[in-house]
Amino acid sequence: MNDSYIYVIVALLPLAAVMLTVQVNPYNALVIRGILGGVAALVYAVLGAADVALTEALVGTMLTTTLYAVAVRSSLVMQIGVLKDELGETDDRSPFFQLIADLQTIGSKYHLRLELLPYPNPQSLHRALIEKEVHVTCIERSHEDEHDSAEIESGRQPYHTAVRIHRLYDILQTELASPATTLTYVTATDSGEKH
Amino acid sequence: MNLILIAMILALLIPIYEAWQDENIWQKMLAFASIASKTSVMILVVSVLRGDWMIGVVGVIILSVGNAGLMLLAHVIKRMNEA
Repeated sequence: MNDSYIYVIVALLPLAAVMLTVQVNPYNALVIRGILGGVAALVYAVLGAADVALTEALVGTMLTTTLYAVAVRSSLVMQIGVLKDELGETDDRSPFFQLIADLQTIGSKYHLRLELLPYPNPQSLHRALIEKEVHVTCIERSHEDEHDSAEIESGRQPYHTAVRIHRLYDILQTELASPATTLTYVTATDSGEKH
Repeated sequence: MNLILIAMILALLIPIYEAWQDENIWQKMLAFASIASKTSVMILVVSVLRGDWMIGVVGVIILSVGNAGLMLLAHVIKRMNEA
Protein backbone atom coordinates (compact mmCIF):
# COMPACT_ATOMS: atom_id res chain seq x y z
CA MET A 1 0.00 0.00 0.00
CA ASN A 2 2.92 2.37 0.49
CA ASP A 3 3.39 3.12 -3.16
CA SER A 4 4.45 6.61 -4.11
CA TYR A 5 1.75 7.05 -6.76
CA ILE A 6 -0.97 6.97 -4.09
CA TYR A 7 0.13 10.35 -2.75
CA VAL A 8 0.05 11.88 -6.22
CA ILE A 9 -3.44 10.49 -6.88
CA VAL A 10 -4.76 11.70 -3.52
CA ALA A 11 -3.31 15.16 -4.26
CA LEU A 12 -5.57 15.36 -7.33
CA LEU A 13 -8.67 15.48 -5.10
CA PRO A 14 -8.02 18.88 -3.42
CA LEU A 15 -6.86 20.19 -6.79
CA ALA A 16 -10.23 19.35 -8.36
CA ALA A 17 -12.06 20.71 -5.30
CA VAL A 18 -10.27 24.07 -5.51
CA MET A 19 -11.08 24.19 -9.23
CA LEU A 20 -14.75 23.63 -8.38
CA THR A 21 -14.88 26.38 -5.77
CA VAL A 22 -13.41 29.07 -8.02
CA GLN A 23 -16.01 28.57 -10.77
CA VAL A 24 -18.48 31.43 -11.29
CA ASN A 25 -20.76 30.08 -14.00
CA PRO A 26 -23.11 27.46 -12.46
CA TYR A 27 -23.03 25.25 -15.56
CA ASN A 28 -19.23 25.23 -15.62
CA ALA A 29 -19.32 24.36 -11.92
CA LEU A 30 -21.56 21.38 -12.73
CA VAL A 31 -19.04 20.03 -15.24
CA ILE A 32 -16.21 20.48 -12.73
CA ARG A 33 -18.40 18.69 -10.16
CA GLY A 34 -18.47 15.72 -12.52
CA ILE A 35 -14.67 15.84 -12.78
CA LEU A 36 -14.42 15.97 -8.98
CA GLY A 37 -16.67 12.90 -8.79
CA GLY A 38 -14.47 10.99 -11.23
CA VAL A 39 -11.27 11.88 -9.36
CA ALA A 40 -12.89 11.01 -6.02
CA ALA A 41 -13.96 7.60 -7.36
CA LEU A 42 -10.37 7.00 -8.49
CA VAL A 43 -9.00 7.93 -5.05
CA TYR A 44 -11.46 5.70 -3.22
CA ALA A 45 -10.73 2.75 -5.51
CA VAL A 46 -6.96 3.18 -5.15
CA LEU A 47 -7.31 3.33 -1.36
CA GLY A 48 -9.19 0.03 -1.47
CA ALA A 49 -12.78 1.18 -0.83
CA ALA A 50 -14.44 -0.28 -3.91
CA ASP A 51 -18.00 0.11 -2.63
CA VAL A 52 -17.49 3.79 -1.81
CA ALA A 53 -15.97 4.34 -5.26
CA LEU A 54 -18.95 2.72 -6.95
CA THR A 55 -21.41 4.85 -4.94
CA GLU A 56 -19.45 8.03 -5.69
CA ALA A 57 -19.40 7.29 -9.40
CA LEU A 58 -23.11 6.50 -9.62
CA VAL A 59 -24.51 9.09 -7.21
CA GLY A 60 -21.83 11.79 -7.35
CA THR A 61 -21.34 12.04 -11.08
CA MET A 62 -24.70 10.91 -12.39
CA LEU A 63 -27.54 11.64 -9.98
CA THR A 64 -26.41 14.91 -8.39
CA THR A 65 -25.22 16.33 -11.70
CA THR A 66 -28.60 15.62 -13.26
CA LEU A 67 -30.58 16.99 -10.32
CA TYR A 68 -28.42 20.12 -10.08
CA ALA A 69 -28.68 20.66 -13.83
CA VAL A 70 -32.47 20.59 -13.59
CA ALA A 71 -32.44 22.88 -10.55
CA VAL A 72 -30.08 25.44 -12.10
CA ARG A 73 -31.98 25.42 -15.38
CA SER A 74 -35.35 26.02 -13.74
CA SER A 75 -34.23 28.59 -11.16
CA LEU A 76 -31.85 30.84 -13.12
CA VAL A 77 -34.54 32.16 -15.44
CA MET A 78 -36.12 35.56 -16.03
CA GLN A 79 -39.67 35.18 -17.27
CA ILE A 80 -40.78 38.11 -19.39
CA GLY A 81 -44.43 38.58 -20.23
CA VAL A 82 -45.00 40.19 -23.65
CA LEU A 83 -47.93 40.73 -25.95
CA LYS A 84 -48.55 38.08 -28.55
CA ASP A 85 -48.65 40.63 -31.39
CA GLU A 86 -45.12 41.83 -30.67
CA LEU A 87 -43.67 38.35 -30.79
CA GLY A 88 -45.16 38.01 -34.26
CA GLU A 89 -43.00 40.81 -35.61
CA THR A 90 -40.09 39.61 -37.63
CA ASP A 91 -38.17 42.86 -38.02
CA ASP A 92 -34.93 42.53 -36.07
CA ARG A 93 -34.39 46.28 -36.03
CA SER A 94 -37.59 47.05 -34.14
CA PRO A 95 -37.18 48.67 -30.70
CA PHE A 96 -38.83 45.64 -29.10
CA PHE A 97 -36.14 43.28 -30.32
CA GLN A 98 -33.47 45.81 -29.35
CA LEU A 99 -34.92 45.86 -25.85
CA ILE A 100 -35.02 42.05 -25.62
CA ALA A 101 -31.44 41.88 -26.88
CA ASP A 102 -30.39 44.37 -24.17
CA LEU A 103 -32.13 42.31 -21.53
CA GLN A 104 -30.41 39.19 -22.86
CA THR A 105 -27.02 40.87 -22.57
CA ILE A 106 -27.71 41.84 -18.98
CA GLY A 107 -29.08 38.39 -18.19
CA SER A 108 -26.04 36.62 -19.59
CA LYS A 109 -23.84 38.65 -17.23
CA TYR A 110 -25.73 37.15 -14.29
CA HIS A 111 -26.16 33.72 -15.96
CA LEU A 112 -29.88 34.34 -16.29
CA ARG A 113 -31.84 32.73 -19.08
CA LEU A 114 -34.65 34.73 -20.72
CA GLU A 115 -38.03 33.14 -21.29
CA LEU A 116 -40.62 35.04 -23.31
CA LEU A 117 -44.21 34.23 -22.40
CA PRO A 118 -46.85 35.56 -24.80
CA TYR A 119 -50.13 36.96 -23.48
CA PRO A 120 -53.15 37.99 -25.56
CA ASN A 121 -53.88 41.45 -24.09
CA PRO A 122 -52.46 44.03 -21.61
CA GLN A 123 -55.02 43.13 -18.92
CA SER A 124 -54.00 39.47 -18.77
CA LEU A 125 -50.35 40.57 -18.85
CA HIS A 126 -50.87 42.79 -15.82
CA ARG A 127 -52.76 40.06 -14.01
CA ALA A 128 -49.95 37.59 -14.73
CA LEU A 129 -47.48 40.00 -13.15
CA ILE A 130 -49.60 40.46 -10.04
CA GLU A 131 -50.30 36.75 -9.72
CA LYS A 132 -46.55 35.97 -10.04
CA GLU A 133 -46.69 34.03 -13.26
CA VAL A 134 -43.96 36.24 -14.75
CA HIS A 135 -41.12 38.28 -13.27
CA VAL A 136 -41.07 41.15 -15.76
CA THR A 137 -43.56 42.54 -18.26
CA CYS A 138 -42.61 44.50 -21.36
CA ILE A 139 -45.48 46.45 -22.85
CA GLU A 140 -45.83 49.15 -25.48
CA ARG A 141 -47.15 52.42 -24.11
CA SER A 142 -49.98 52.80 -26.59
CA HIS A 143 -51.48 49.56 -25.24
CA GLU A 144 -51.72 50.87 -21.71
CA ASP A 145 -54.73 52.79 -20.59
CA GLU A 146 -53.53 54.67 -17.53
CA HIS A 147 -50.45 56.90 -17.75
CA ASP A 148 -49.61 60.57 -18.05
CA SER A 149 -49.95 61.94 -21.51
CA ALA A 150 -46.75 63.99 -21.51
CA GLU A 151 -44.52 61.02 -21.99
CA ILE A 152 -46.53 59.66 -24.89
CA GLU A 153 -46.23 62.92 -26.73
CA SER A 154 -42.49 62.92 -26.36
CA GLY A 155 -42.53 59.40 -27.81
CA ARG A 156 -38.96 58.68 -26.86
CA GLN A 157 -39.71 55.77 -24.58
CA PRO A 158 -42.26 53.64 -26.37
CA TYR A 159 -42.01 50.71 -23.96
CA HIS A 160 -42.80 50.28 -20.30
CA THR A 161 -41.06 47.58 -18.29
CA ALA A 162 -42.54 46.54 -14.95
CA VAL A 163 -40.49 44.41 -12.57
CA ARG A 164 -41.86 42.72 -9.48
CA ILE A 165 -38.62 41.37 -7.98
CA HIS A 166 -36.58 43.95 -6.17
CA ARG A 167 -33.15 42.46 -6.84
CA LEU A 168 -33.97 42.23 -10.55
CA TYR A 169 -35.15 45.83 -10.47
CA ASP A 170 -31.86 46.94 -8.88
CA ILE A 171 -29.87 45.11 -11.54
CA LEU A 172 -31.94 46.46 -14.42
CA GLN A 173 -31.88 50.00 -13.06
CA THR A 174 -28.11 50.10 -12.96
CA GLU A 175 -27.43 48.15 -16.16
CA LEU A 176 -30.27 48.84 -18.57
CA ALA A 177 -29.15 51.75 -20.72
CA SER A 178 -31.75 51.24 -23.43
CA PRO A 179 -33.56 54.48 -24.34
CA ALA A 180 -36.60 52.49 -25.49
CA THR A 181 -38.12 51.79 -22.10
CA THR A 182 -39.00 53.14 -18.71
CA LEU A 183 -38.60 50.97 -15.66
CA THR A 184 -40.94 50.65 -12.71
CA TYR A 185 -41.07 48.42 -9.67
CA VAL A 186 -44.39 46.72 -8.96
CA THR A 187 -45.24 45.16 -5.63
CA ALA A 188 -47.12 41.93 -6.09
CA THR A 189 -50.13 41.28 -3.86
CA ASP A 190 -48.94 38.37 -1.74
CA SER A 191 -45.44 39.02 -0.43
CA GLY A 192 -45.24 35.81 1.59
CA GLU A 193 -43.74 33.78 -1.22
CA LYS A 194 -40.13 34.55 -2.05
CA HIS A 195 -38.45 33.82 -5.33
CA MET B 1 4.89 -0.79 -13.11
CA ASN B 2 4.64 2.31 -10.97
CA LEU B 3 6.10 4.27 -13.85
CA ILE B 4 3.03 3.43 -15.95
CA LEU B 5 0.75 4.86 -13.29
CA ILE B 6 2.86 7.99 -12.88
CA ALA B 7 2.68 8.53 -16.64
CA MET B 8 -1.11 8.09 -16.52
CA ILE B 9 -1.38 10.66 -13.71
CA LEU B 10 0.62 13.12 -15.80
CA ALA B 11 -1.71 12.43 -18.74
CA LEU B 12 -4.66 13.04 -16.41
CA LEU B 13 -3.30 16.49 -15.54
CA ILE B 14 -3.64 17.63 -19.16
CA PRO B 15 -7.49 17.52 -19.33
CA ILE B 16 -7.70 18.92 -15.76
CA TYR B 17 -5.69 21.94 -16.89
CA GLU B 18 -7.88 22.20 -19.98
CA ALA B 19 -11.07 22.13 -17.90
CA TRP B 20 -9.66 24.85 -15.67
CA GLN B 21 -8.46 27.19 -18.40
CA ASP B 22 -10.98 26.90 -21.21
CA GLU B 23 -14.13 28.95 -20.72
CA ASN B 24 -16.06 27.22 -23.50
CA ILE B 25 -18.56 24.83 -21.89
CA TRP B 26 -18.15 22.17 -24.58
CA GLN B 27 -14.38 22.14 -24.10
CA LYS B 28 -15.04 21.57 -20.41
CA MET B 29 -17.39 18.72 -21.27
CA LEU B 30 -14.70 17.18 -23.50
CA ALA B 31 -12.21 17.42 -20.63
CA PHE B 32 -14.79 15.84 -18.31
CA ALA B 33 -15.28 12.91 -20.68
CA SER B 34 -11.52 12.49 -21.00
CA ILE B 35 -11.04 12.53 -17.22
CA ALA B 36 -13.93 10.10 -16.62
CA SER B 37 -12.43 7.58 -19.04
CA LYS B 38 -8.86 8.06 -17.79
CA THR B 39 -9.76 7.61 -14.12
CA SER B 40 -11.70 4.40 -14.75
CA VAL B 41 -8.86 2.98 -16.85
CA MET B 42 -6.49 3.88 -14.01
CA ILE B 43 -8.74 1.98 -11.59
CA LEU B 44 -8.48 -1.04 -13.91
CA VAL B 45 -4.67 -0.75 -14.06
CA VAL B 46 -4.44 -0.56 -10.26
CA SER B 47 -6.70 -3.60 -9.91
CA VAL B 48 -4.51 -5.61 -12.28
CA LEU B 49 -1.35 -4.47 -10.46
CA ARG B 50 -2.71 -5.61 -7.13
CA GLY B 51 -4.61 -8.62 -8.44
CA ASP B 52 -7.72 -7.31 -6.66
CA TRP B 53 -10.79 -8.41 -8.59
CA MET B 54 -13.21 -6.40 -6.46
CA ILE B 55 -11.62 -3.11 -7.60
CA GLY B 56 -11.55 -4.49 -11.14
CA VAL B 57 -15.28 -5.08 -11.22
CA VAL B 58 -15.92 -1.59 -9.83
CA GLY B 59 -13.63 -0.13 -12.50
CA VAL B 60 -15.55 -1.93 -15.24
CA ILE B 61 -18.89 -0.68 -13.87
CA ILE B 62 -17.63 2.91 -13.59
CA LEU B 63 -16.20 2.74 -17.11
CA SER B 64 -19.43 1.41 -18.61
CA VAL B 65 -22.18 3.36 -16.80
CA GLY B 66 -20.30 6.45 -15.57
CA ASN B 67 -20.74 8.28 -18.85
CA ALA B 68 -24.54 8.29 -18.59
CA GLY B 69 -24.32 11.38 -16.37
CA LEU B 70 -22.21 13.02 -19.05
CA MET B 71 -24.88 12.33 -21.66
CA LEU B 72 -27.65 13.80 -19.47
CA LEU B 73 -25.62 16.91 -18.66
CA ALA B 74 -24.74 17.41 -22.33
CA HIS B 75 -28.41 17.20 -23.24
CA VAL B 76 -29.40 19.84 -20.68
CA ILE B 77 -26.61 22.18 -21.82
CA LYS B 78 -27.62 21.71 -25.45
CA ARG B 79 -31.23 22.60 -24.61
CA MET B 80 -30.00 25.68 -22.74
CA ASN B 81 -27.98 26.91 -25.72
CA GLU B 82 -30.94 26.45 -28.05
CA ALA B 83 -33.35 28.45 -25.87
